[in-house]
Order: sequence, then structure tokens, then C-alpha cells
Amino acid sequence: MSQTSKENKITLALFYCQNIPESGKQDRQSLEEEYGKSIRLFPIPCSGRLEPLHLLRALEEFADVAYVITCPEGECRYFDGNLRAKKRVQRTREIIESIGLEGERIGIVMNKNSKSLARQAHEIMENITHLRPSPVLSPHRAQQEKGEKRDNC
Amino acid sequence: MREMSQLKRVLDNGDMAVTAECGPPKGADPEAIFKKAELLRGKVDAINVTDNQTAIVRMSSLAACGLLISAGLDPVLQVVVRDRNRIALQSDILGASAMGIRNILCLSGDHQSFGNQPQAMGVFDLDSIQLIQVAKTMRDEGTVWGGDPLTKAPELFIGAAANPFADPLELRVIRLAKKIRAGTNFIQTQCVYNLDRFEQWMNMARDRGLPEHVSILAGVTPLKSSGMAQYMRDRVSGIDIPDELMKRMQGVPKNRQRQEGINICVETIQRLKEIQGIRGFHIMAIEWEEAVGEIVARADLLPRPSFDQD
Amino acid sequence: MITAEQKPIDEIREMIEPYEKILLLGCDSCVAECAAGGEKETAMLASTLRIAAKMEGRDVLIHEKTVDRQCVKDFILPLDDIINQYDAVLSLGCGAGVQAVAEIFSEIPIIPALNTKFIGETRDQGYWVENCIGCGDCMLYYFGGVCPLTRCAKNLLNGPCGGSKDGKCEVDPEVPCAWQLIFERLSAFNALERLEKIYPPKDWSEKQGRGPRKIIREDQQL
Repeated sequence: MSQTSKENKITLALFYCQNIPESGKQDRQSLEEEYGKSIRLFPIPCSGRLEPLHLLRALEEFADVAYVITCPEGECRYFDGNLRAKKRVQRTREIIESIGLEGERIGIVMNKNSKSLARQAHEIMENITHLRPSPVLSPHRAQQEKGEKRDNC
Repeated sequence: MREMSQLKRVLDNGDMAVTAECGPPKGADPEAIFKKAELLRGKVDAINVTDNQTAIVRMSSLAACGLLISAGLDPVLQVVVRDRNRIALQSDILGASAMGIRNILCLSGDHQSFGNQPQAMGVFDLDSIQLIQVAKTMRDEGTVWGGDPLTKAPELFIGAAANPFADPLELRVIRLAKKIRAGTNFIQTQCVYNLDRFEQWMNMARDRGLPEHVSILAGVTPLKSSGMAQYMRDRVSGIDIPDELMKRMQGVPKNRQRQEGINICVETIQRLKEIQGIRGFHIMAIEWEEAVGEIVARADLLPRPSFDQD
Repeated sequence: MITAEQKPIDEIREMIEPYEKILLLGCDSCVAECAAGGEKETAMLASTLRIAAKMEGRDVLIHEKTVDRQCVKDFILPLDDIINQYDAVLSLGCGAGVQAVAEIFSEIPIIPALNTKFIGETRDQGYWVENCIGCGDCMLYYFGGVCPLTRCAKNLLNGPCGGSKDGKCEVDPEVPCAWQLIFERLSAFNALERLEKIYPPKDWSEKQGRGPRKIIREDQQL
């Protein structure tokens, strides 16, 4: 597989509801080709199936950022799956903040204008470019930065 | 030492009784009690001493009652079940009687979450009705709860509170009946502003023949200001102030509101006198004991009866 | 069921700080029902603690396992095979579970990850309420199925107090007055006369007479 210019320094774990537009197997493959190792895609039958553990495990094992894309509010095929997802994302954000990890490493996009998976993925990627690699995955670097900050005090 | 409750004598004699309230200080200064005692001397038959009311730490009710005894007055020991278990409660009753305290008012007490010790363990081993039962057992059977004999039974005139304004009304009357059956001799009610509701409660009590078995003292509290009226109505549980009274207080300039509060209080007493079954008045002038003299004078409740001490 | 809530993460981290090989032990009974210590929550806490350790660059081994009932010896004993690999157990059981595990594995520190709260019911999804204090002498018959010892803030057996207004408790206007509920329920089946009875002081020796209570049933023993 060829590396592309869009490959980011950080990795996004992207969970998405399979009911959002243009989110089939081919769409997924072309996104993976576009972003290479910078994106890991996880289709789920409904965002209501997303558990905080999925997000935590992603951050623990490989991702710098974890997002979920859900159907627009009021348009969940299973009535309230996306609302559940919203609450679980909020809870997970509180958990990572409680141990000193930036809350913005977890996000949710409720697909208001029914954009395609690719468009949403592009927007999310743009939104997170300012984030540094996760201190969970490169702890030495995080430690060093801490040390530098302390020296500056 | 006082042989008998002055309050009991007045009631036994068929007179209208008058009691007032004295809140102990948030400190160890006995003068605060003596000062209030002098404001009330000769104006009332007995003086209630509150027991850490609103769950705020104050000088103990028992100690403050002791100070009133030393000043030659007849205290009513208020006892709440919030802070003491049945061992401590019975022990305090014996101690109170030994000191010459002859009246006790059995109460649940304001919940500890309201005061300045919200982390305190609420005891509530007994409830107020059970405390009446226990006190009566000690006095009449000469035993502690459970049957162990006392070397000397306490001499007690047992009282309880009633709130005709809390819900549900039917239960209020059932509860009054239970307090009487448990052994209360007198009742002091929550302060009366809503006379209609009070009369409704009294009618229900009369239908059950309750006033024949207990002396009901109607509670009154003079309003100091329209602000206090509003605070009491909105924030103090169990207080019912009708709109017309609120308007009356608000309609008077600030500097005359105290006087208006006393006027309302006197008028309330006059109207309560006409309700069958009322045996007296309990005047709770909160941190305003100065007002009691004027209220009793204008309500034609002076002079207070006196009896030769044996 | 017994309800519980997870302790603040900082408190948990402080308690496990000295240890390098930790077993998180979940319980799949009551504390799973109240979303505090079941398999899912145990996995989440384990992941969170591993993330925290990684951020500090610490090499800590954190494993997780959930047993069906941490308060029953038969369910704890199988841990014998694995527990020696660890130098501490962080238990997501209730207080009874923590102590049962500690009783059996006396060599290893057992650390509580939960604050045990009360005996309660799941009133709704994500909503648990206390309704039994385990007094040892149930009086629910007299009070129409509403326990005043649990649901009245002053534990009154001859309530209500003077603070009940519009059917709500003076302590918390969100909370219904237990005595209002008792009154309504007894009215509904014409049993108000039960409230005329004076209930005497409660025999608390059934609850706290001589230290921890026990039940022994010989017919249930081997």
C-alpha cells in the first residue's frame, strides 16, 4: 500500500454508524487508501452500540484521537441510539479528563446535513490537526515536555 | 425547689395559660438567658427553651432551663430526638426533674441538614410520640423503658407540638390523637396565621373529642417585617401565611411594620380566644422577647395568675 | 440489590500507587446492575488506569477479571490459581465482596474501588433509589409497603413530622414525604386505621445488637 501525502502524524480511530450516507465498504476502502495509517475505521450498526470502552481501548492501544459519527438527532433508526452515544462520549471525555488527558481527544459528530462518510472524515481530520501525538502512546515525549515546562517555571 | 409546674397549675385552675419561647445563645454566656428571663418575668406562666433549633449548635436546653430555674421561673424543656438516643433522653429527663424542671416538650427536631453541622449523624432512635410514651412511663410507672425501676420517678408535665398547617390534614388529626393517647398533657401548635385552616383542624379535633383530653395552646409569632413574613412563608417548613396578611404587612411603611406585626398578633389571639377548646397561647417572639409584654397586655392576658408556693 | 458508585479516580490511583501488578476484580451481580462494578465497568476502569500509567511512563501490569458473585466463597476460590501473580487486588465489589475476598486471600492487599451506597431498587434506567435499611424486623405491612425508616428523613414510625408540605419532604423538595405516600397507599385500600396505632420504640438490637449480624441455617449446611 502506498503512503499518501495526507498521512498525518497522529492516528484517528473513527467509529461511525453504518446508516450515514456513502459509508459502504468501498467508501471505507478509499478513505483508508487516502489516509493510510492515520485513520482506523470502525463501522457499527448503530452508534447506540458504541461503548466508552471502545473509545478508551482505542486511546490506550493505538489512537491519538477517537471520534464517532452518528445520524442526526431525531433520525436514529433505533430512536435513541445517537443520543446514547452522545452521553457515552461525554462520560468517556470526563474519564480521560480525570486522568489529565485532553477531553478533545474524544469527539462526536452528529451528522446534521447528512454528509458522506468521506466528507465528515475530512472535516474531523482538519479539526484535529492541531493536536499533538498522544502522551499515552509516546510517554517519553510527554515526560520530556513536562520536564521542560518545569524548568521554565 | 419548685414542687409543681406553674403551667400545670394555671391550666388545672381553668385559666388561659401563656407561654413564651427563649432561644439559648450561640455561646456559653449565661447572661443571655437571664436577660431574656427578665423580659418575660410576670408576663408568661412558663418559658420554652428550644433545643438546638434549626439544628444550629447552641447552649444546651437542659442547662439553659437550669438557669431559668435559678432565676425562679418555670421552664419548658424542649427535647428533640434528633441528637440523643433513648439512653441519653431518659437520662436527661431524670436530670431535668432533679433540677426542678417540671415541663418537657417532646419534639422530632429540625433535620440536621438545615443547620451548621450538616455532616452530623441524625439519631432518631425514638420519634416524638415514642418520647412522650417513654416520659409517661417514667413518670407514671416509675420505670425506664423496658421496665427497670427508677429509685424516684420524675415529675413531669408532658407536652408535644402539633402543626395544623402541614399536609395531609387528616393525618394531622390522627397524629394529635396519637400524641394524646401516648400521654401528652398539653399541645403547643405551630404559629397560627391562617385562622381558617386552624379552625378546620380544631373542628376535626373536636369531632374526635380530643380537646377534652389535652390542653391546646395556640402558637403565635409576631411578624417583625414584611421581609420576615415572606421568608417564613417561603422558606420555613410548616408555616402558612395567607396572602391578605402578607399584603397587610407590605402595605405598612417599614418603620411601622413591627407595630403592625404586634397588632396582627394581638388580633389573632383575640380571635383564637373565641375558638372552643383553646386553653392558652404560646408566644414565639423569635429574638424579640421585648414584644411579649405588649402582646399579653393588649390581648388582656395580664396579670398572670400566681399561686402560693408550698 | 446493593448499590455502589465508583470512587474518584484520584483516590483509586493513590491507593494502588505502590503496586506494580494489579488485578481488577469485578462482580457481575448487584454492582453490575447499578453500573458500578460489572464486567463492563471493570474493563473501563482497567483501561483508564492503564492509560494513566502509560502517560506517566510507568510499567504497571493491570489485568481484569470479573466473577459472578464476589460475596460468595465458591465464586472467589477459583481465583486461587491466578492471584499469586499480582501484588494487589483492586475490587469493584461492594463492601461485602471486598471483605469476602480479603478473608480468603489474607496475604494480598484488597483495595476497594467502589463506595457502597445502599439497598435499593432500579427505579428507571440510570436511576437507583434506597428503600430498605435492613432493620431485621420488616414493618412494611403496617405502612402500606412504604418504609418510613428508610424513606422518611427522620425515621419516624409515627409520622409525619411538621415539615411535610404539598406532599414533599422538608429536607428535599424533590423527595416525596414518605408519610404522604403511606397515607395515600393505606387510604387506597381502606386501611388508614393502621395509622391510629402507636408504634412503640423500635427494637434496634435486630439491626445492631451485638456487632455484625449473621444468619445460620443448619438445613442449608453440609
